[in-house]
Amino acid sequence: MADPMHQFEIQKVVDLPSFTLPGVGAIDMSITNSTVAMLAAATLVILFFAVTTAKAAVVPGRLQVIGEGVFSYIDDLVVGIIGHEGRKFFPYIFTLFMFILAMNMLGLFLVFTATSQLAVTASLAVMTILIVIIYGVMRNGANMYKLFVPSGVPWYMLILVTPIEILSFLLRPVTLALRLFGNMLGGHVALKVFAGFVVSLGALAATGGVATLGYVAAALSLGGVVALTALEFLVAFLQAFVFAVLACVYLNDVVNLGHHH
Amino acid sequence: MAAETTPNAEAVGAEHGAHAPAGVTEVAAAHGGEASGGLPQFRMEYWGGQIVWLFLIFAVLYILLAKVFVPRLRKIQDTRAATIAEAVTQARSVQAEAEAQAKAAQAEIDDARARARGLAVEAKAKAAAELAASQKAEDARLQAQMDEAEARIRGLRDQAMTNVRGIAGETAQAMVEKLTGQKVTAAEIDAALAAQGAA
Repeated sequence: MADPMHQFEIQKVVDLPSFTLPGVGAIDMSITNSTVAMLAAATLVILFFAVTTAKAAVVPGRLQVIGEGVFSYIDDLVVGIIGHEGRKFFPYIFTLFMFILAMNMLGLFLVFTATSQLAVTASLAVMTILIVIIYGVMRNGANMYKLFVPSGVPWYMLILVTPIEILSFLLRPVTLALRLFGNMLGGHVALKVFAGFVVSLGALAATGGVATLGYVAAALSLGGVVALTALEFLVAFLQAFVFAVLACVYLNDVVNLGHHH
Repeated sequence: MAAETTPNAEAVGAEHGAHAPAGVTEVAAAHGGEASGGLPQFRMEYWGGQIVWLFLIFAVLYILLAKVFVPRLRKIQDTRAATIAEAVTQARSVQAEAEAQAKAAQAEIDDARARARGLAVEAKAKAAAELAASQKAEDARLQAQMDEAEARIRGLRDQAMTNVRGIAGETAQAMVEKLTGQKVTAAEIDAALAAQGAA
C-alpha cells in the first residue's frame, strides 16, 4: 500500500540558490511542489477575478455574478463582524479567504495541498495575529490591556480571568494554524487510506477463494472515497471560511476594544 | 549522488546535514532514510523556503486584490446601488407627475361634464320656449282660420235660410192656387207666414 504520508513530502521542482538570513540560517528558495501549489492557487484567484470582472457592467453577466457573489459574501461577513470600520481590513480577509480556499480546493484536484503544510498554515496564522497585535497597539495604545481585563469583573475574579485571557490569546495563532492544518492533513490521509484499501483489497480478492469477498470491501472503500471526497469539498470551503471568520473576530476584539457590540 | 547536485544545493544539504535535496527521486530516497522522523510537515529544512514563498505570493495576491479587483468590484456595486437609487427616485417622480396629470385630467373631465350639463339644460329650456312660441303662433293661426270658416258657414246658412223662405213662399202660393184656384200674392203669403211664425 502506498504511504499515505507520501503526498505531504516536499519535492523540489526547480533548484534555486538559497540565501542566509541572519539569526535564522540558510533559506532554500528552491521552487518546490508546495511553492507550485501556492503559485497555482494565487494564479487561479487572480484569473478568476480577472475573468469575472473583465467586463464589469451594472447589469452583470453570469461570471460577474459569481465574482460579485464571493465579494459580497466576504464583505457582508467583515462588516457584519467588525462593523463599518472593518472595511479597511476587507482586502486582507478577502485575500486570506480566497487564497486558502484556492489552496484547499486545488488540493482536491492536484497531488499537493499547500494548506496541509504546517509551515503555510502557521505563517498565515502568525501573520494574522501580528496584524491584530500591531493594529491593536496602534489604535488602542496602552488601552490594549483591556483585551485581557474584561470590564465589569470584580478584582478577585480578574486574578483568575486575566491569565486565562492571556493564555487564550496566545493560543489563538496555534489553534488557527492547527485547525486548518489538521483538517487538511486528516482529510487527505483518510482519502489516501481508503483509496489504498480499494487497491490492496482488490489485489487480495484477485487471489481467489474466500478472498474474493474482498471485492465487496473494496467496493465499500470506493464508496467511502467518493463520500469523503464530497465531505472534503465541504471542509475545504468551511476551513477557509472559518479562518476568515476567526480573523475577523480577532480583529474585532482590537477594533472595538472595550465596547462590545 | 553528490555529483549530480549543483554546488548550491550541496551547500544547503551540507548545512542541514540531514540529506541532500536535489531532485524528485533523491528526495524520495532521502525520505526513505528518514521515515522514522514522523510527519513530513515537521521537517524544518523546508519551512524557510515555504514561508518566504508564501509571504511573497500572499503579498502579490494581496496587492492585486486590494488595488485592482476589490476597487473594481466595489465600484461596480456602488455604481449599481447609485443607478438603482436614481432609477427609483426617477420612477417615483414620474409616478407623482402621472398622478398629478391624472388629477388634472379628472378635474378637466368634471369641469367639462358640468359645462355639458349646463349647456344641456339651457338648450332644453331654449327648445321648450321655442316650441311654446311656435305652438302659440300656430294656435292663433288655426283659431283665425276656424273663425273665418265659421263666419263663412254662418253666412252660407243665413243665405240658405232666406232661400228656404223664398222657396217655401213660392211653394205655398202654388199649392194655394192649385187647391183654391185663387191667386194669392206673395205679400199675403208673407203675412200668413209671419203670422204663423209668430204663432
